[in-house]
Amino acid sequence: MALLEINNLTVEFHIRGGVVTAVDNVSLAIEPGQTLGLVGESGCGKSVTASSIMGLVPSPPGVIAGGEIFFEGEDLLKYSEKQMRKIRGNMISMIFQEPMTSLNPVFPVGDQVSEVIRLHEKLDRSQARQKVIDVFKQVGIPAPETRIDDYPHQMSGGMRQRVMIAMALACSPRLMIADEPTTALDVTIQAQILELMNRLKRETGASILFITHDLGVIAEMAQQVAVMYAGKVMEAADVETIYENPKHPYTVGLLSSIPVLGRGKEKHRLETIPGVVPSLFNLPQGCRFSERCPDVFDKCRKENPEMIDLSPGHKVRCFKYA
Amino acid sequence: MIALAKNRNIEDRHPFWDQAEKLVKNKTGLAGLIIIAVVVLSALLAPWISPHDPIENSLYDQLKPPVFLPGGTWKNILGTDDLGRDILSRLIWGARLSLMVGVLSVGIAFMIGSLLGAVAGYFKGWIDNLIMRIMDIILAFPHILLAIVIVAYLGPGLKNAMIAIGIITIPRFARIVRASVLEEYEKDYVMASRAAGAKDLRIIFSSIFPNCLAPIIIQASLGFGSAILDAAGLSFLGLGAQPPTPEWGAMIAMGRQLILRAWWVMTLPGIAILFGVLGFNLLGDGLRDALDPRLRD
Repeated sequence: MALLEINNLTVEFHIRGGVVTAVDNVSLAIEPGQTLGLVGESGCGKSVTASSIMGLVPSPPGVIAGGEIFFEGEDLLKYSEKQMRKIRGNMISMIFQEPMTSLNPVFPVGDQVSEVIRLHEKLDRSQARQKVIDVFKQVGIPAPETRIDDYPHQMSGGMRQRVMIAMALACSPRLMIADEPTTALDVTIQAQILELMNRLKRETGASILFITHDLGVIAEMAQQVAVMYAGKVMEAADVETIYENPKHPYTVGLLSSIPVLGRGKEKHRLETIPGVVPSLFNLPQGCRFSERCPDVFDKCRKENPEMIDLSPGHKVRCFKYA
Repeated sequence: MIALAKNRNIEDRHPFWDQAEKLVKNKTGLAGLIIIAVVVLSALLAPWISPHDPIENSLYDQLKPPVFLPGGTWKNILGTDDLGRDILSRLIWGARLSLMVGVLSVGIAFMIGSLLGAVAGYFKGWIDNLIMRIMDIILAFPHILLAIVIVAYLGPGLKNAMIAIGIITIPRFARIVRASVLEEYEKDYVMASRAAGAKDLRIIFSSIFPNCLAPIIIQASLGFGSAILDAAGLSFLGLGAQPPTPEWGAMIAMGRQLILRAWWVMTLPGIAILFGVLGFNLLGDGLRDALDPRLRD
């Protein structure tokens, strides 16, 4: 059984000027111990999907208009706020994009991690402190006994992200949601953090929902990949299939716009996807990618394509394969 | 990486000391601190340093001028009032009352105002509207007038004056705290705290509120000054401290009819109020320079 299974999730934002469907009929599944990479451009609904799992869609204006989110067989959308608080940080935890701002500047980092522990486990101060030191060691923070009393401004970006990971890891969650955890870091630190997350996944057996717009990172992290565009999942498959046999024109476009080392010598221009992401207020009729699609035909502009099973585990939302 | 861990002595001092140093280096802040230190020390040490009892009458020493005027003696350094009470002693004991007024009314305003402001800024929506419109109504009254109304309702006396001043100061704190909470609310650490399973009240008071302290501290210092001034005003009108309490405002009221015969009876408490309020205002300005990150060089 999948650890997390999202069925037909729809999230709307009711704001002045109308209703925006940020997440439209999204279905995803994460197996225990696996990483699902959720890829897409800014504003395609990746982060809103993550917030829905945590029950943290800002409401108002956000409304979960439909769908189910099964976590270990229980529908989280039916949980009360009190039940969700027990899940958050404990069973499902989250790592954020900006390590610079996601730690509270007025408290030592150790206090912030031990707060999470003490919210969910009955430990006294010194036990919690010991546990924080252990977790700091686990995430590779040097000299954890002294670093635990540092304030966030005394740490580098990479170290702060390690603290954030320690915070996410502190209560041994079953699922970690990483929302672009390496976007704000430079490339060498990025590699260290990714390596760390992979190691922790192996050690703890937790699953990871890895949200990113960087396909290169996905290749290193994920076993399963879902590509989102304008609130819909366009293609979902395991990572080899996505890279070797992408079907959806959007996935193909994304992959061909990754620069490859050495290819520049042959006077190749880096390919781009023409156009911009459509505004969620003003979506094109038919397929949402139709305006930018190189393979577009008449039907695409009129009807919305359904998800098609190409082979077991490989799904695509495109009329080309219908 | 281990070398990095060792090379981190630059920032080892607690940020509090950086700000304390900045405050003392700032001339206005230092001046404010010194004045306040004098006021606080006289308040604390009043029973030991005041030369006379502040309330005891002395029929033979009525309206003695201060020592620096002809006829003044060292027995009553700053002279006496029309009942022969030593003015210096009354000023020293009066510092106690003024500080108490400051602490209590600012305390009331700080606690209620911060609570209301934080709740309004965090929950937004109709709660925010309700709270802030009530604050607007309070602000719409000339504040000393509102204080008079409240004291008239509660009955004259220093305690009720403090409550009244506290109430009229609530909107100032509520507005500042609300603005800071609105600003902090957007920061990722609030989301992180929520994602860790913390409750709303916990997020407000143990995550967000400590980040809003700088403007509140500044406001408290400035509020101290205006509370002392307002209390003196109420006492001058006979609604605050009642005779024979040695309150500065009440002393001015007492000396009012003597202004042509014995100017010092009224002027000296006036100067005390001036310096007390000035001290807190200077400290407030100094704190703003030390705490506000936008003013850092």
